[in-house]
Amino acid sequence: MAAILVLLTIGLPWIGALLVLLTGNERPKLQHAVASIISVAAGISAVVLLWFTSDQPVLSIPMGSVFGVFTFVPDALGVLLAVIANVVGCLAVIFSIDYMKGNEQLGRYYALVMFFIGAMAGLGISGSLLLMFFFWEITAFCSYALISFDNDDPKAVAAGIKALIITQLGGIGLLVGALIINSYVGSYQISAFLTKAETLPFNVLVLLAFGFLAAAIAKSAQVPLHTWLPDAMEAPTPVSALIHAATMVNAGVYLVARFFPAFEDVPGWTTSVLVVGMISALLGALMALVAADLKRALAYSTISQLGYMFFAVGVGAVFASQFHLLSHAIFKALLFLCAGAVIPAVGTRDMRQMGGLRKTMPFVFTVFVIGSLALVGLPIANGFFSKELILEEGLMHGPMWAYIGMLLGVGLTALYVSRMVFMVFYGESHGEKPIHDGLFWMRVSLTALSIGVFTTWLLAGVLSDLMAQTLPFHGVHAIGTFELAKEIILAPATWISIAVIVLGIGIWILREPLAGIKNLLRPVARIIENGLGFEQLNQGIINGTKNLSAALHLTQTGQLNWNILGIVGMLSALFALLFIGV
Amino acid sequence: MNISPLNICLLGVIGLVAAGFYGLLTTRNLIKVVIMLQILVKAAVLGLITAGNISGQLYVTQSMAITVIVADTIVAVIGMAFAIQIRRQVGTLDTNELSSLRG
Amino acid sequence: MTLPVWAWIIVLPLITSPLIYFIGHLGKSRGVFAQRTALLAFAATWAAFVLAAQDLQHNGISKLMVGSISLKFDGLSLLLAMIALVLGSFVVIFSGHYLADEEGQEKYYAMLMAMIGVMIGLGCTNDLFNLWIWFEAMAVTSYLLVAFYKDLPTSLEAGIKYLVQSAAGSTLVLLAIGLVVAETGALNLDEIRQTAESSPALMAAGILFVIGYGVKTALVPLHTWLPDAHSQAPSGISAMLSGIVIEAGLIAMLRSLSALSGVTTLWGPLLMSFGILNMVVGNLMAFGQAQVKRMLAYSSLVHVGYMLIGLGIAFSMRDVIGAQGGFFHMFNHGLMKGLAFLAAGSMLYTLHISKGDHRPLLFDDLAGAAKRYPWAALTLSIALLSLAGLPPLAGFMSKWQIFVAGVDTHNGWIIAVVAFAALNSVFSLTYYAPLVNTVYRCEPSAIVLSGKRLPVVMKLPLVLMALGIIAIGIWPSLMNWLTEPAGTALLAGLGG
Repeated sequence: MAAILVLLTIGLPWIGALLVLLTGNERPKLQHAVASIISVAAGISAVVLLWFTSDQPVLSIPMGSVFGVFTFVPDALGVLLAVIANVVGCLAVIFSIDYMKGNEQLGRYYALVMFFIGAMAGLGISGSLLLMFFFWEITAFCSYALISFDNDDPKAVAAGIKALIITQLGGIGLLVGALIINSYVGSYQISAFLTKAETLPFNVLVLLAFGFLAAAIAKSAQVPLHTWLPDAMEAPTPVSALIHAATMVNAGVYLVARFFPAFEDVPGWTTSVLVVGMISALLGALMALVAADLKRALAYSTISQLGYMFFAVGVGAVFASQFHLLSHAIFKALLFLCAGAVIPAVGTRDMRQMGGLRKTMPFVFTVFVIGSLALVGLPIANGFFSKELILEEGLMHGPMWAYIGMLLGVGLTALYVSRMVFMVFYGESHGEKPIHDGLFWMRVSLTALSIGVFTTWLLAGVLSDLMAQTLPFHGVHAIGTFELAKEIILAPATWISIAVIVLGIGIWILREPLAGIKNLLRPVARIIENGLGFEQLNQGIINGTKNLSAALHLTQTGQLNWNILGIVGMLSALFALLFIGV
Repeated sequence: MNISPLNICLLGVIGLVAAGFYGLLTTRNLIKVVIMLQILVKAAVLGLITAGNISGQLYVTQSMAITVIVADTIVAVIGMAFAIQIRRQVGTLDTNELSSLRG
Repeated sequence: MTLPVWAWIIVLPLITSPLIYFIGHLGKSRGVFAQRTALLAFAATWAAFVLAAQDLQHNGISKLMVGSISLKFDGLSLLLAMIALVLGSFVVIFSGHYLADEEGQEKYYAMLMAMIGVMIGLGCTNDLFNLWIWFEAMAVTSYLLVAFYKDLPTSLEAGIKYLVQSAAGSTLVLLAIGLVVAETGALNLDEIRQTAESSPALMAAGILFVIGYGVKTALVPLHTWLPDAHSQAPSGISAMLSGIVIEAGLIAMLRSLSALSGVTTLWGPLLMSFGILNMVVGNLMAFGQAQVKRMLAYSSLVHVGYMLIGLGIAFSMRDVIGAQGGFFHMFNHGLMKGLAFLAAGSMLYTLHISKGDHRPLLFDDLAGAAKRYPWAALTLSIALLSLAGLPPLAGFMSKWQIFVAGVDTHNGWIIAVVAFAALNSVFSLTYYAPLVNTVYRCEPSAIVLSGKRLPVVMKLPLVLMALGIIAIGIWPSLMNWLTEPAGTALLAGLGG
């Protein structure tokens, strides 16, 4: 049964992708129907998989020779990722029915989205490193192809290729790591590696730990490899919601959480994870504070929230990180999809040209505020519980300076969310009147996600229980939902951070007198906007490569004598090496 | 170094190879290029015969040499045919002018 | 004397080649007759191939003496025959329409058939001089095929450069053979391996082999003929050149070098160094190309680089996985690059050639091609992404196998080489991905809008090859029956 469910969870979206392609762009209605029905079915099969979690492979396919055995292990960590991928995925597809209406290349769009959903689910459930890398690369490819979905726009093409290259560069860490693990452990199985991690030579383990961290940083758009994510906002908005907020960017967090037991004793590793998380959380929030583009602001906020998850892993709170991963996937997808409703309605992404939409788009306003509550971390929204849990763990197990840093991040979050809500929905209208307040299918998926915001925290108990049962190496303790809620509400850390949130919102309300500080922050913001000089470094590398390539092109002169010189030259060089050097 | 027939042959091989490559590096005329290729082949033929002499396999290397001559005549013929066709179509035999494909 | 069944794989193409030429001369529509005959010849050769493959599996390597020439059919021969036949069949099917308006089609098919025959023969030889003969025969047939458009200046230019460089290289091989004979007195590869000892003359011979065959294999900096020849030849021949001819050169090099494996331990590092050089230079040259076929040509350099790394590991460490990975990549490269050239060729055909225009195909010409030519666009994209090493496509799996071999050595340097190869693989996306983006634009370029419909027969090989690439990408051990004997054969050749 579990094996069939695994196959359905991954295979259904892939079959759907093929069917949508075969349907052809001449029949858009059928394409919408096929895509949404199949993705809903895939979502259901992923949810049912929750009842079949296990720490053992439920499906093993021997691949022969050096490819090992492809195993699927539906443990809690993996199934969580699969459920998020398929459920948010089907909501994004439903949203797309209205969002993508009238697009010419619907087949390609749905095929890529569904190909992505299947691969993302597979990435979570795979128990073999090679299989995981396989899915890891497919998600990167789909992300690239969807960012540059509008191929006529050079900006979109550049952003897509940039995202692909940066995540792939990080992926080298995972690739070499997987190969090294196979070589030293004799198998690609993650469980085999976690069992034998201590027996590996120390320097090998260090290489692995930091290689995987590099892959995770690139995939999760953490500082300093974060610059691709804001650019990726060229993608159609449902794709931003699905791939660049709810799922693919989580893969990095998933990776560090998955291998946490193996690397926690590597000196400096947990601190590095923690520091990366803290810096990303702070800088992401600062950038969100100054961004004018609604989608970019949300992207920076994603970087910041992913930073919280990294921080949680860094202090050893694997459960807290995954709990926040779940909450964040729901509320950030909600916020992005709201943006997806607002942007086409008003015809711009620039928040300065919005305003006053509270009255003209009341439905979207309501759900956006619900999402904002969760992002800020106010009670009864899922973000409240998960973020407070992270902060509490940070206070108990992490260094004080890091805790204070994260607390500052909480305040900044409250500040930028207030700004965002205000700029879009309050004040005077600065642009055209919106043409709709969310179309039918948009509202369906927005409603579903809003309900999720208030309810997914109830799953905390189940989640911790499943993780305790199926993750033998992570040492997660099962705890009941209400016990956890009580603990969080009574913890001093919670009250401190609520105070900070109120302070953050207060600063926004009192922004007029504090304008001086804002101006003071502006140059800092500009530096951050440019990725702390990493963007320049990127550009430098690109230009250097271009120049080198151009110079090398000159060596192909097309003249025969010159070509012969290549032969004679190499021959002489080798003879010289032979008789003089060696 | 004593002047034995063997050494003369070896020097001949080296000299012919050097001459052939020198020619290929400097000449721009396609006909001459084909001639230079032939010089290189002659160096190889001489080399094979010499090798047969050294190892006492002269019978084998002689038949090899004949095969090589046949094979390389074909190459020379094709090279010449190309040269003629180039003269017709492009109007030049200068290899430096035949450099439209570059980069 | 009865010939063993595998000998027919060599003999059949060679005897049908003149037949194709004559039959082509009989009818009015020469091309059609010649092409049909070639297809029949392929069918017969395939039958012989299947029997030979089964024979190899059950009875092992078999040898044949023709006079003093020794031939043998081992895993390497099987590999080369397989790639040559797969590519050859697709190219013949593809070329029917592509060349429909050209003169001299019967020569084309006859030469193609002869080239396939001699290439398979090259794989079956066990004798140094015999190897050279096959190699030279292959070279001669390919000169003529490269300059098939005998009235086009650029095609002639590419042909003469290819001829001169290749001929210069092959005389170096002869010199090397001379040195080996002088030192060991033997020509048979097994005998040479047994008698060869470390000596400067044999070292020199090895270097001459590497450089001599290296011209055909397109080692940097001996590669300068390749971008010209690949971009100017008819697309079917570009696919053959890139997919099998340069690989045949590589196999000739490996065979010769493996006989000298006892001379020095440096061959492995030498091959790997060339591998690195090829990857770097190939990538940088492919980057920034405006012509599709020229970009693909340079990408062949990169892929030869990957193969060299796998095979270099096999040479250094006597590691069968490296050899298998290298050969697996060789097969996959044949499929991927063959598909890329044929898919680009189909576009070149409908956009330029069918209008009597021999301009090169530019990236910009393909803008929005997906709209009118969905299959060509899809298969081209699959080929490019597979070349870039993205799963679930074949290129990923064979690179992975090479990398496994590298990391398994536990040697810091080789692991660094693997990481560097992975980096190059990522870099290659910077020139493959934009082409995919261009093809999928919404607004087709004017030239795409004016293009003819693509004949179904032309799409057939594209779709089949793309399916093959996906199947191998999902199920890599599908090709084990081919790569395992080839790896074992190389190792046996190394005396390990």
